[in-house]
Amino acid sequence: MSGRGSHVVTLAGTGATFACPGDQVVLKAALAAGQRAIPSGCHGGGCGVCRVRVLAGPYRVGRMSRAHVTEADEAAGFTLACKTFPEGALVVGLAPSRT
Amino acid sequence: MGVARIGHVRLRVLDLEPAVHHYETVLGMTVTHRDEGGDVYLKAWDEWDKYSVILTEADRAGLDHVAYKVAADADLDEFRGRITSRGVDVTDLAAGALHGVGRALRFTLPAGQDMVLFADKEFVGTDVGFLNPEPWPEGVRGCAVKWLDHCLLMCELNPEAGVNTVDATSQFLQDALDFRLVEQVMAGPDHSVRAAAFLTVTSTPHDIALVGGPTSGFHHAGFFLESWEDVLRAADVLARHKVKVDVTPQRHGITRGYTTYFFDPSGNRNETFGGTGYYATPDRPVTTWTEDQLGPAIFYHTGEVLPSFVSVYT
Repeated sequence: MSGRGSHVVTLAGTGATFACPGDQVVLKAALAAGQRAIPSGCHGGGCGVCRVRVLAGPYRVGRMSRAHVTEADEAAGFTLACKTFPEGALVVGLAPSRT
Repeated sequence: MGVARIGHVRLRVLDLEPAVHHYETVLGMTVTHRDEGGDVYLKAWDEWDKYSVILTEADRAGLDHVAYKVAADADLDEFRGRITSRGVDVTDLAAGALHGVGRALRFTLPAGQDMVLFADKEFVGTDVGFLNPEPWPEGVRGCAVKWLDHCLLMCELNPEAGVNTVDATSQFLQDALDFRLVEQVMAGPDHSVRAAAFLTVTSTPHDIALVGGPTSGFHHAGFFLESWEDVLRAADVLARHKVKVDVTPQRHGITRGYTTYFFDPSGNRNETFGGTGYYATPDRPVTTWTEDQLGPAIFYHTGEVLPSFVSVYT
């Protein structure tokens, strides 16, 4: 799948799902679907409260604060939901920032 | 002699041009300089010094430093002594180290943020000038903020571990720099823990605010507007530009200000802050809020503290 279609995002733990278009970030799609499990903060990649870990599926990210997602974190699937675009079906788990 | 007012904030942003667009088009500031390192300098229409915001691209959001302007160059020598005598190291910045600014002092507050003191900054004038001026200029974009009013710093607070950098920073600002405590929030069973402090050097209710949190950081930069009407119109501007709004127009119990909170594209919180509240003259008694009244102290209308207000910052 390219990034243009809509993808299913599954929240690990609850198993709740919602649809997220490929040009939409996961956090906004979750909020639009009434899913409040992922904390909503600055929506700019700066505050880190929406930190999650992608457990499965392809995605791309925008710029995020390295105070909350280091390069090693990013390589391990940690990301900020406000800066994460799905490129296929995703499974994500909450991963609150260490700071 | 003394600290005269807030001078500027240097904010770290993740992506420079969207940030410039935000401060120019949404807040209505003007770019006055770009330096060779890429930093962008902006001023609001009623400010006369060259800039009140510096945007610098970085790999994390937040505050690089907040600067306050002192009354005279010689004051820097006295403040240097008063700061170092309290065990705080001072770095001397030569004239020009900060663009358009004379010699300056840089040091770290007890809560961890860096502060700069300077006496002189390049004068460029307001958009209406000082000779037979109109009350406001035509053609200012967006919220048309008038000036940078204050900033709020989050200060690590962990009373169980004996850590209270709200109190330590407040005491430092009062003792070393002659800030005056205007309002405070007292927490704990006997209201003995200073959990927030609002301090001034002018006659406005706050030139700097300190609020306790799990970690230190940058909460917001507040930009001044006159009236409720201005703050409501600014909220329309935010919606029009699809800016992420944190708190829609409300009144603060503390300061009595009219407020709207929102985020720049890198997640640094801004406030459009309206009203003069009261005159915080030196003889005004300190206003105290108890922790059980924190809701109306911060958000007077709803009486409830939004979780994001105290947990989301850079």
